[in-house]
Amino acid sequence: MKGDVLVIGGGIQGCATAYHLARQGASVILLEKDYAGRHASGVNAGGVRLLGRDMAEVPLSKASMEMWQTLDEELGHETGFRRQSVINIAADLTDMTTLRAREERMQAAGFTHERILSRAELLDRLPHVNPDCAGGAISEQDGYAIPYKSTSAFRLAAERHRAKVVEGEELLSLRRVGPAWLAQGHKNRYEAETVVNCAGAWADHIALMIGDNVPLSHAAPMLMITARMPHFAAPVVGAVSRQLSFKQFKNGTVLIGGGAKGFADRANNRTRLDYAKLASAARTTVEFFPIMRRASINRMWAGLEAYMPDNLPVIGPAANADRAFHAFGFSAHGFQMGPIVGQVMADLVLGGQSRFNLTPFRINRYDRKIL
Amino acid sequence: MQALDCAIIGAGPAGMTAAIELSKGGAKVAVLDRGTRAGGQIYRAAAASPLPNTSALGPDYQAGAELIAAFERTDLTHFASSDAWHLGDDGRVLFSHLGETHELHCREMLLCPGAMERPMPIPGWTLPGVMTAGAAQVMLKSDATVAEGAVFAGSGPLLYLIVAQYLRLGVPVTALVDTTPRQNYLNAAPLLPRALRQAGQLKKGIALLREIRSAGIPQYRFAENLEVLGQNKAKGLRFTSGGQIREIAAETIFLHHGVQPNLNMTRAMDLAHRWNPQQLCWQVETDAFGQTSIQHISAAGDGAGIIGADGARIAGRLAALNILHRLGRLSEADRNRQATPGIAKLAAMAPFRAFIDRLYHPANALRLPQNPDTLVCRCEEQTLADLREGFNQGARDPNALKSLTRCGMGPCQGRQCGHMVTGLLSQWRAEPTEAVGYYRLRSPQRLLTLDELSRFQAVPAPTHAEAAE
Repeated sequence: MKGDVLVIGGGIQGCATAYHLARQGASVILLEKDYAGRHASGVNAGGVRLLGRDMAEVPLSKASMEMWQTLDEELGHETGFRRQSVINIAADLTDMTTLRAREERMQAAGFTHERILSRAELLDRLPHVNPDCAGGAISEQDGYAIPYKSTSAFRLAAERHRAKVVEGEELLSLRRVGPAWLAQGHKNRYEAETVVNCAGAWADHIALMIGDNVPLSHAAPMLMITARMPHFAAPVVGAVSRQLSFKQFKNGTVLIGGGAKGFADRANNRTRLDYAKLASAARTTVEFFPIMRRASINRMWAGLEAYMPDNLPVIGPAANADRAFHAFGFSAHGFQMGPIVGQVMADLVLGGQSRFNLTPFRINRYDRKIL
Repeated sequence: MQALDCAIIGAGPAGMTAAIELSKGGAKVAVLDRGTRAGGQIYRAAAASPLPNTSALGPDYQAGAELIAAFERTDLTHFASSDAWHLGDDGRVLFSHLGETHELHCREMLLCPGAMERPMPIPGWTLPGVMTAGAAQVMLKSDATVAEGAVFAGSGPLLYLIVAQYLRLGVPVTALVDTTPRQNYLNAAPLLPRALRQAGQLKKGIALLREIRSAGIPQYRFAENLEVLGQNKAKGLRFTSGGQIREIAAETIFLHHGVQPNLNMTRAMDLAHRWNPQQLCWQVETDAFGQTSIQHISAAGDGAGIIGADGARIAGRLAALNILHRLGRLSEADRNRQATPGIAKLAAMAPFRAFIDRLYHPANALRLPQNPDTLVCRCEEQTLADLREGFNQGARDPNALKSLTRCGMGPCQGRQCGHMVTGLLSQWRAEPTEAVGYYRLRSPQRLLTLDELSRFQAVPAPTHAEAAE
């Protein structure tokens, strides 16, 4: 099978890349070893958050947030996006100091999307929050989406533009031969001028095939969701310095995250849960929101996610090969960036450059340290 | 910290028999069960029936009381009213008792999760007033309550048993609508000669059917195109039988067409499963002693493949013998010697089971929803049309379909819809059931309050010396 671009990985980055490329007329083949959205992109917490981003990511994240607001219309499929705002709670005055310091840096850089909430404003927005909290920060245009639906929406839109999505196809080898990339999968052979590595927790393998070493690790952040309960929190909730994170969906279920990690068994495509850590997340949730005491946990799970040492993704061209690009290592906060990353990758592949400064995300940023 | 030789999950016929045998062999055993008393579903409340006289329930039920008594005399730990919410392949068991999570560790684990009724997704099956025959039994056994004037529809021994029990108690029954297809009788006929070797079982079944017939209640055979009538609650049943469309008014309709293993426990443990084409259900793979794909985890009884209460008792004992051997308390030769009669008995029961399975093989039209508006997932209210739409959008795997439509995401964790989804995807993909697979399940295996989880403190696993104590 021949195409202009071979995308490896059917997560949101891969599907969005395939969509933006196909929309502009490139012939795209996307290979996914399981099914599109099977791993982190389909089972994450669905946060669509600009609030609290690393400064290096803010320009990309801001552009992505604008895309989210009209993404359903653009793709022609539901992503489940709801603009509900995201609030990071300041548990105490130390947290408030942290927020004020951040506000100064943000304003100096010209960013105004985050706003500090007083204690009274916090209580107004989240009437059920523990009244001992000191305040918080809010980003109004943030919200949540349904991860699998969003990934699927990109995939369907890509297919509408004639991208070929091959599921259940694991990449066994990838070689640059003359002007072409030759790929061998379990089922088939593929040939393309350009390859884009969006392989998530498996991206270091693909990077190696391309010729780039990368200090990628993987982990299994855990989530739990409750049975439906009466609506008590419209905004998505996080915290400045505590492992607190939840959102109440439209149907009343509450998704609780917080970053606690289970056990990642990448070789076997599996994760295991750490109940002691989930219990700790439950304690934090109940402490901040006593109303949650009555909530019933319906499911618990974890996804396999890729992490870089600095928790920033790799986005950009390969260091050691021509016509190869990477987008991976989003370190548990890449879902929101999917829409813009797809566009950036298409710009890189088709035009050789991006309007964003990608220096912080270059793949060889650790080379010097390793040497 | 409790360091155990074996934890048994479920105190039905398999679990109780295994527990008695293990304890007899000197093993330190704990049995966890949801009920306040042992017995499981089949012997529910058999030891303390609210009925003045249990003879109406039949001798099999009464025999359960003896097993429960023997179980209760045995030296073991019985955690009653205890719901396991996590079973680990590391031998760790987390369970809820009175709102608190407790933890225990065991060297061997025996799963006896039992059976559940196969859903019958005819139009209107989720209306108030529609229940399963099993629910009728639970009402009768636990609370001595009955529904007068009910229609019973479906096929299979359990359906006939509850009708007979109702009639013995003098409860008016409006009709029995039998859906066993005519073709099933022809298909099962060649298996009859071998089944006759278990003449006792066959006689029991025939006597049951005769008892119902002689009671003179309206009976309809070869019924098809079943549909529950009513908008907000059941008002009756419409079906075709004998070439005629019939409507019977009733406020209660009990549906039943067989049972299937309760999969959630074995699936959540990620044990290997296989599709049983004869019984049209998934079942955990085991060897003759109930050992699963993880060597220190065994399964017995209907939860490991439908064999009935008598079979479950034997399977429970076989699993116990093997576990005693694995614990070093029984030599392999002794295990085999003691197991021989049980293995032979199970083999002798197989032809009758095969006959029953073929005779009451559920019709696809009743096993899988046919009407686009019929609910498949009751928890998340997903219809057949919703699922088809999800499939058309590329969700070909049960888990992808779940992610897209929420089918199977509710509190029952796919217990109700799992087999239907597998069946539908198999049809739509035109691929065998094995290729389709099943939901990936996880702990908690029951709803767990955040409050209870927040109070949970992990206890470190026992050292080997402790465990061997």
